[in-house]
Amino acid sequence: MRADVELPALGESVVEGTVSRWLVAVGDRVEVDQPLVEVTTDKVDAEIPSPLSGVVTQILALEGEVVPVGGCLAQIDSESKSSVKLPPTPALVPSEERSTTDAAAAGVESDPGAEPEGSRATPVARRLADENRVSLDGIEGSGTAGRITKQDVLRHTRNLAKQQPGEETAAHGLPTDSVPLASPRESVSFTPPASPASTPPASTPAPSATPPAVQVPPVASGRRRRAPIYIPVEGDRVIPMSPMRRIIAEHMVYSKHTSPHVGTVTEVDMSAVAAFRTEHRAAFEEANGFGLTFLPFIVHAVVRALKEFPALNASVIEGAIVEKKNIHVGLAVETEKGLVVPVVRNADRLSLGGLAAEIDDVAERARSKRLSADDLQGGTFTVSNPGRKGNLYGFAIINQPQVGIVRMGEMVKRPVVRTEAGEDAIVIRPMMHVALSYDHRAVDGAPANGFLYRIRELLEKAEYAL
Amino acid sequence: MNPAESRLSVEWLGRVTYAAGLELQAKAVEARRNGVAGDRLLLLEHPPVITLGRNAQEANLLLSREALAEKQIEVHEVPRGGDVTYHAPGQLVGYLVVDLKARGEPDVHRFLRRTEDALIESLDGFGLRACSVPGRTGVFIPAEAGAAETPSRKIASIGIGLQHWITFHGFALNVTLDLAGFQAIVPCGLEDVTMTSVARELARGPLGLDAWSRERVSAAFSRAFA
Repeated sequence: MRADVELPALGESVVEGTVSRWLVAVGDRVEVDQPLVEVTTDKVDAEIPSPLSGVVTQILALEGEVVPVGGCLAQIDSESKSSVKLPPTPALVPSEERSTTDAAAAGVESDPGAEPEGSRATPVARRLADENRVSLDGIEGSGTAGRITKQDVLRHTRNLAKQQPGEETAAHGLPTDSVPLASPRESVSFTPPASPASTPPASTPAPSATPPAVQVPPVASGRRRRAPIYIPVEGDRVIPMSPMRRIIAEHMVYSKHTSPHVGTVTEVDMSAVAAFRTEHRAAFEEANGFGLTFLPFIVHAVVRALKEFPALNASVIEGAIVEKKNIHVGLAVETEKGLVVPVVRNADRLSLGGLAAEIDDVAERARSKRLSADDLQGGTFTVSNPGRKGNLYGFAIINQPQVGIVRMGEMVKRPVVRTEAGEDAIVIRPMMHVALSYDHRAVDGAPANGFLYRIRELLEKAEYAL
Repeated sequence: MNPAESRLSVEWLGRVTYAAGLELQAKAVEARRNGVAGDRLLLLEHPPVITLGRNAQEANLLLSREALAEKQIEVHEVPRGGDVTYHAPGQLVGYLVVDLKARGEPDVHRFLRRTEDALIESLDGFGLRACSVPGRTGVFIPAEAGAAETPSRKIASIGIGLQHWITFHGFALNVTLDLAGFQAIVPCGLEDVTMTSVARELARGPLGLDAWSRERVSAAFSRAFA
């Protein structure tokens, strides 16, 4: 008897749960009531027990996947005597697509009319072979009447890869919907190339101790799209994501998923700022012990523009737009461990010199890893200064739950047209592109452009009291 | 009602290491399942410890392990999902071992809300107005009147484990603990939340996890889980 393990109703208002960890793998024998999987909903981690004794024949939801209440998590077969190893299970497809794909994988074509008479491979198998540039000759079919199935092609491709570990096998080109491995564990782990010469990085756990050295991050949980199968090739470097990297990845995916980003870019004549800076930088450094960079000028303009355009200093919270009273500006700072965004609080109350001091302080503490949790919290808008040479402009990802982020380009001298006393002239000016990404849920184009234009005006006027 | 009539028995265990706490919970769940014990609230405090879930590790620590060791903060990896948390003396930890099915209310959300309500009532006993925030499990101090912001000062955290409809883990209520400890971690990634405590909000203290404080919590939970 086969039984589905469904996500039970954990409460009236609980509509779904996230698979956080599988405690069993396909082929494992389980007893009734034995915990199979941990599912998280809200702040609750629930263990889902097996409804009967038997063998796990299918796992239907990946770690990180969101499953609706009543959705199928796994299948248990109570009659299966032996441990089944790697049955052909295209388990990793959303339920609405599952029935047809199941049939395809089992070699039972549901649409025989679509293929030529006497074909010895299923359409799925043929497409897969084609995409992988693998010949169907020499593949033994295991499907009905000896037809070659998707599984056969995949097995063949894997074998080829094993035989020629040094060569690119084109298997990276596998279509994204065809991760055929039976259990999430297998699908997310792989065996590093068994080359004695390859020294794993120090942080890599010993393969025997913790097999899933690489995981499909739950963060990239596009439910339809899966990363193509990765077949190790000697010389590839596998760098497990650090927890920091994962947090960044999670945040970026979350933001792109949450906010419809719109980008707009302006070009700022930095002549006045540059002149002001040149005039004051020596005295400033003397008095303060640190240099006067361009960043505080940008932040200064941004916070003043934010005061005039409060729609950009906001959050979308449960169907409402909250315009924040305080202006706390996050500054994207690159550290050796990755991106951090310390916050300068009440930036609108600071003079240019005050901003310069605060920015220097948080940037320095970010780099020396001395930020406190408070330093990272409560930002209402973000300024990113990637500062790399050749960086014309680019659109940053919004730092949630904010609705806008400004990204500075490189300042370079450019010929521009200026009209003085009715005469057009081409002059050389230090120009900088400033790009704004904004959340179109909260802000429309006109105010966003107005805001960006105001930043430009403020920078071109360059009126400061140090 | 008189707490003695409650179906929830409350016990004060004093200071318990995190590892011992995990073991204690496993036993309590087992005992509840076998019917040896009823529903219980185990109150205790932990020595300074940072707990790391499976998904959130090292980089959530803003201090190096050496620096943490110097401050005598233990780091404990917990074999389950979830965030980085911090416990220390002065934080009242409550392990709730409750059989939801036996209570006829197999609903984890209702359990979370009931726990929040009991904590809000406990804080009311301290003379402190607290609230819950939809979508953010935990207990918060309301933003000042007129402020447009959602409450961001968190005073109690909640995290629940569930086995066969029996809950474990529970809540951590910041009473007098030194909040500086939270600065060693990035709580829950980049959330717009700062931690606060009863002592900080009341701007007086030390209050301590004395019998009087514990009684506020014990009474509120006895009523909530009567």
